[in-house]
Amino acid sequence: MKGVLAAVVLIAAFAVACDRGAGGGPGITVVIAEYSKDHTRGFWQALAEQYTKQGGPKVDLRIIDWNSIDQQVTTMIQNNQPPDVLNLNSFSSYARDGLLYPAEDVLSPNTREDFLEAFARGGQYQGKLYGLPILSSARAFFYNRDLFAKAGLEAPPKTWNDFVQYAKKLQALGGGVIGYAMPLGPEEAQAEWAIWMWNGGGDWKQADAWAINSDANVRTLTFLADLANRQRVTQVNPGKTNRTDGAFQLFKDGKVGMVIGFSPLAKQLDAEGKVKYGVAEMPTTLGKPTTLGVEDYLMAFKKKDNRDAVKKFLDLYYQPDNITKWITAEGFLPVTKSGLERMRPNAALTPYLDALPNARLAPTTDPAWDRVKLDVQQNIGAAVQPGGNPKGVLDQLQRNAVAAAGAR
Amino acid sequence: MRRAALTAAGWGLACVVLAPYAVMLLTALKPDAELRTTPPRLLPVLWRPENFLDVLSDPDFTSWLRVSLVVATASTAIVVLAAAPAAYYTARHRFVGRTAFLVVVLVTQMFSPTALVVGLYRQFFELDLVNTYAALILTNAAFNLAFAIWILRAFFASIPREIEEAAAVDGCGRAGALFRVVLPLSLPGLVTAVIFAFIAAWNEYIVALTLMTAPERKPLTVGITAYVTAYVQHWNHLFAASVLAIVPVVVLFALIERHLVGGLTAGSVK
Amino acid sequence: MRAEAPAPARAVKGRRWEALLWLGPSLALIGGVVFYPAAALVRASLGRYSITGVYQGSVGADNYVRLLQQPALSTVLTNTAVWVAAVVAVTVVVSLALAQLLNQPFPGRALVRWALIVPWAASLIMTSKLFVWIYDYYFGALNRLLTSVGVLPRPVDWLGDDATVMGAMIAVGIFVSLPFTTYVVLAGLASIPGEVYEAARVDGASRWATYRRLTLPLLKPALLVAVVLNVIYVFNSFPIVWTLNDRNPGFAHDTMVTFMYKIAFKSALRDVGLAAALGVVNVLLILVAVLAYLRTVRWDDGEAAASGRA
Repeated sequence: MKGVLAAVVLIAAFAVACDRGAGGGPGITVVIAEYSKDHTRGFWQALAEQYTKQGGPKVDLRIIDWNSIDQQVTTMIQNNQPPDVLNLNSFSSYARDGLLYPAEDVLSPNTREDFLEAFARGGQYQGKLYGLPILSSARAFFYNRDLFAKAGLEAPPKTWNDFVQYAKKLQALGGGVIGYAMPLGPEEAQAEWAIWMWNGGGDWKQADAWAINSDANVRTLTFLADLANRQRVTQVNPGKTNRTDGAFQLFKDGKVGMVIGFSPLAKQLDAEGKVKYGVAEMPTTLGKPTTLGVEDYLMAFKKKDNRDAVKKFLDLYYQPDNITKWITAEGFLPVTKSGLERMRPNAALTPYLDALPNARLAPTTDPAWDRVKLDVQQNIGAAVQPGGNPKGVLDQLQRNAVAAAGAR
Repeated sequence: MRRAALTAAGWGLACVVLAPYAVMLLTALKPDAELRTTPPRLLPVLWRPENFLDVLSDPDFTSWLRVSLVVATASTAIVVLAAAPAAYYTARHRFVGRTAFLVVVLVTQMFSPTALVVGLYRQFFELDLVNTYAALILTNAAFNLAFAIWILRAFFASIPREIEEAAAVDGCGRAGALFRVVLPLSLPGLVTAVIFAFIAAWNEYIVALTLMTAPERKPLTVGITAYVTAYVQHWNHLFAASVLAIVPVVVLFALIERHLVGGLTAGSVK
Repeated sequence: MRAEAPAPARAVKGRRWEALLWLGPSLALIGGVVFYPAAALVRASLGRYSITGVYQGSVGADNYVRLLQQPALSTVLTNTAVWVAAVVAVTVVVSLALAQLLNQPFPGRALVRWALIVPWAASLIMTSKLFVWIYDYYFGALNRLLTSVGVLPRPVDWLGDDATVMGAMIAVGIFVSLPFTTYVVLAGLASIPGEVYEAARVDGASRWATYRRLTLPLLKPALLVAVVLNVIYVFNSFPIVWTLNDRNPGFAHDTMVTFMYKIAFKSALRDVGLAAALGVVNVLLILVAVLAYLRTVRWDDGEAAASGRA
């Protein structure tokens, strides 16, 4: 007994005394979001080692999961210890606070020219490129071929009327089959909403002013609420279902007829081989269907004496071999012209690459969007709950957006 | 008859308490394809104990396990070493500031670690202790101090002074009385404090998440979340890892649990 | 109650040094680890921060005023009161019964005690994720069990249906608090000398009367620790509410701690200063609640009874 006690005290003393921090000394901190356990760390670790071997300083690489990355980054900045390079899905608030280097300071001209037009524009703040596109994805309309066949449906729906009819027929199959899985829970509701909103003829803004509660948008949100509460062709509580552990999961289980997905979902479906699915364009009320394109960003934080180190790191990442290798491993889409060329031959990506030109981005260049996005995520689900009020919800979102735009 | 009723109640309790973890264990034994079937099945069709081997052979997992063991053991030791004297002294003596001390200790418990995590990060950064064992050990020790002090104090206070005095007079001296009489008599309290501090440190999440960003310093609670992320969900591996994470705690408990019933027997006062 | 003769000045000073020696390590830990972040929290609550976390200057009590104006505050306060009261009350009552049970000898008792440690040994995050799994509408074990046995005509969305979310979370809260509380009470029971029960039996007291008049009062110190610490831990409990409430939009089922986290990082407010103000308010709330409880229970007299006993 006494021996155990002594050993324990020794461990404690050892652990406290001999462990030293890794901070201090030259080096750069690189924070990357964890897209997958299998690929993210492996790639960036190798890249960091390559960088140091080529003469760059030591890299403090931090891979942080999406659930905590906002909290961690805010904590670092609150303590005046921002990272040197950050990967995140928003950038304009950091640009507005003057924390970032513009692209011309940290990227070679070749790299800057290689960006696809739409994505480069999506990373601009007040005319300068701050949010360097790192990868992209495009949403597409997924449908379950087996369930379609069972319900006697052939081609995927093109209009909203067709869509509702299809959903009803699928729901009528019974046995727990869901017509359309609609994720408007707080995880990524703004994405789902954006796609329907655009195809319903509305938009976030009209001519640079927020127009969240436009008539077209109210009609669209009412349409979605009806799908849930009147036609009853969705899964239970769509306003409280998230994408990844809710709607996508149910589609992967083979219980869902239609869902809006993206290329990583296709990758998982292929790997599991359980569901025969097809990918098509969105049903729309307009002439041409629109889909949502999303880009994530790399940002370089302004710190004393780190410009060259950061520039070297970014140039290394943006070399066509490196960037394409990672994007392909994670199942996402390219953001550079050279990357697009290299990934074209991959047949599995064709529907998404085709959709890219018609993909619209969220208004990420406006710092107010960071607040609006969170507001939509947290609140729009309430509109499609039983007893929900679509117009009321959109009005409130509009009010908050205008307030956010006006503030500072 | 009464014993039968007691036994039934006891075993019934064990079943109710373990039922959710049985679900966890059974899910951990399922292959990926069987995680969600229609209709839902409790038992796997294809039993896959290899999931546990997958987790055990994952070098990340063993690293997380080692970090958790070091942090939990060390912080428990520090808690007991700091709390016992303080609890003893406040139980036995009245002095200026005694109530204040006890209230201050209690108040430190009231700060939610979630609220303090930003300040903790900054403090340890300035001390160059981010990503070190020391930071997490000291933090866990400080946050578990109140429970240890309060329960040890309750135990020390409930031991009549006369026993101690008798032992001291009998030739042990004050210190001897403390070690040979008081501590053994308050063993249930000590054991409770040890279990509590260990489990609290073992399962701490948010401070570990913020202070330990290097992969080789992440404890189990933080590392395990990697199995189920936004894009890939390996529930079976997550649950297998969780089951494995429970084992060390149950082992510790099994080793010291009988001291919980120590108590005031053996002819104490009279 | 020991009457102390007035001591000479030197002895009194010696006593103070002595106190410092015994209390020193604890004070050092608290001062070193908790004090600085607590001060940082208060300072943060008095400042204004950009959405990115950049400090933008002091605003005095502005954050506190804005906190009181939050429309969701009354809902969250009610949720928290219900959450704490329900979990602590039910846990303590059930723990008393469980401790009695586990204090009696019966075959397999050791194994049952080991089983009881499991919900406590598993981290809150793991148990919460497990219950998300169990409560799932389509694939959860609970719906499967209740519908196949016939208790429910139709599956229930435990975590999505506004009527059931709170109850579902409280059930998990009680479940994970039972082991700790039961063991605190068990430790308390173990320190009651057998002679006490002997005397009661000789006097012919019924079992229930013995329990009420003898056991419960002797358990007061243990119960005190259990209630006070449970109130604090349940109030501050983050993982259960956070994980189980994850899918729900708005703040309808949040408690003060998850509300604080959402204000800081997840909601449109993204306001670290406001969240810090709420953090300080949380501490004051628990402090008031606990002090009120301690005063009611008159904790300080407990020892007088103990040291004056037998």
